[in-house]
Amino acid sequence: MDKLPNELKQPLVELLLSVADDKFILGHRNADWTGLAPILEEDIAFSSLSQDEISHAIAIYQIAAGLVGSTADKLAYARKPDEYLCAELVELSDEFNWAIAVCRNFFCDHHDYLRLGRLAHSSYVPLAQLAGRLVAEEQIHVQHVDMLLKRLGHGDTESRERMQSALDRLAPLATGLLEPTQGIELLEAKGVYPRIEPAMFERWTEDLRHVAEASELKLQLQAPRAEAIGGRRGRHSDAFASLLDELTEVYRLEPEAAW
Amino acid sequence: MSVSASVDLKLDWDIQEDPVKLVPFEERITKGELVEPDDWMPHNYRVGMLRMAEHHANSEIVGALPEGEWITRAPTLRRKLALIAKVQDEVGHGQMLYRVSQDLGKPRDQMLRDLITGKTKYHNVFNYPAPTWADVVMIQWLVDGAAIMNQATLADGSYGPYVRTMKRINMEEAFHFKSGEDMVLTMMSGTPKQKQMAQEAFDRWWAPCLMFFGPLDKESVKTSPFMRWRIKTATNDDLRQRFVDRFAPAALDLGLKIHITVKDQDGMVTEKREDTEIRRNEKTGYWHFSQPDWNEFHRVVKGNGPLNKKRVALRRFSYEQGQWVRRAIVGGSDLPPLC
Repeated sequence: MDKLPNELKQPLVELLLSVADDKFILGHRNADWTGLAPILEEDIAFSSLSQDEISHAIAIYQIAAGLVGSTADKLAYARKPDEYLCAELVELSDEFNWAIAVCRNFFCDHHDYLRLGRLAHSSYVPLAQLAGRLVAEEQIHVQHVDMLLKRLGHGDTESRERMQSALDRLAPLATGLLEPTQGIELLEAKGVYPRIEPAMFERWTEDLRHVAEASELKLQLQAPRAEAIGGRRGRHSDAFASLLDELTEVYRLEPEAAW
Repeated sequence: MSVSASVDLKLDWDIQEDPVKLVPFEERITKGELVEPDDWMPHNYRVGMLRMAEHHANSEIVGALPEGEWITRAPTLRRKLALIAKVQDEVGHGQMLYRVSQDLGKPRDQMLRDLITGKTKYHNVFNYPAPTWADVVMIQWLVDGAAIMNQATLADGSYGPYVRTMKRINMEEAFHFKSGEDMVLTMMSGTPKQKQMAQEAFDRWWAPCLMFFGPLDKESVKTSPFMRWRIKTATNDDLRQRFVDRFAPAALDLGLKIHITVKDQDGMVTEKREDTEIRRNEKTGYWHFSQPDWNEFHRVVKGNGPLNKKRVALRRFSYEQGQWVRRAIVGGSDLPPLC
């Protein structure tokens, strides 16, 4: 379909915002490392990954903006905190702990790869076309983060311990990525967000576990509780409000101005 | 000479180089030929070139910091993307220049160590604060504009790897400058508040940019043959004049005023008055301008600028928090633990 039936509009906007917000905030957090990463070559790579995430977010915001009559910039900068639909995992500060930064990307990139793969087969043509392009870039993210996980997992005792501890710390939060947005069943039924077999959680944990094992790291993931309510419904961590304050600091000086 | 950590990296003007080697070396340079890493070169050429490339590399990775602070707060998606890419470029320049320096005989880890322990320096201009978004704008327009002027002459130097790196860097810097020009134009066509922000940031950066090219020629030490060897190809005063000739009229066209400023110890302007010297000499075509406060320059060079300690501390923080990663991925350092 080229034109979206009305009843699918709101559910699709929520799904698109959840994807774009995850990417925007992850790119924003990862860019903290620009200029400060542990190895110059990795600093450069990490900045490219951040730019990719934000570029993906812009492209997805643009589709959402078309559906709600807004702009990508307004969606990125001018919503209230509870209107953002990102998962808690992308909100938290990594406190300049490289192990946390890498493990967060590990969970997010694998998840995005699956999510974009599904969207690439969407019955909504403009979205399928876009997601098809994005998933190819996301695959490079996955390769890069898998490589880092393996190098650090196999590095030395200290690096393995640090990575294990970061995985353990993030795993309970990471499943929040799978919290469904409202109306997702309808999108799935109409092929706008096609289902996959095995389902998302099984596929994702399988992919992650495979890489973790090859990195000599252990990974325990519990399926998310169906009744859990978090970022996908606009409920965010305390860190999120201050993150948004900082992100919009200059924008808010003159919201109508060109910068 | 192959790469070796055992190279003695101090300038030594008592060395008598073998004239059988020195004379053809200098002839090649006079003819405009490039010196390559495996060629014979005078000891002081190697050390002078290394010092310059290392200082330049240090400046790139310290220079990433003042703008890097603003990535989280960039006001639009496009500016945010462009700023990450810009700071990434600076880190990339640092990486390329550290590689040039490594080839001249100093290991990268030693260079990073020397930077964070204050043994080596970086460009003075990065010791000034960037308290608003408009400072990012001025850094990309004025400071990058100054850097291009300086580096265009360095691309005309004699050491092959540095010259080739400089050409590549200059292409990217030209891009940053375009972005800076676009941002300053946007702000100066914006709201009164934006114009005021731009003027205040311009006031903070004008004098540091005049100082960017180093002390007055009459005060700078000229005992070394670096000009003859084409490690350096233009004098400080020449470059400063070129900068003013380019940027004074551009600033006035945009509606900016050029001020003589007094700053507090944090680098914030406390007093300002219009620079009445600013005018074009119709006969020569050169622009007149007032010299910056050279006492301030010497204070900042000696480590007492507004942010010297903060910049070095942040680089040190980055170095220390990344040590375990480097140990795991690129192997341990031979250097003793930092104290």
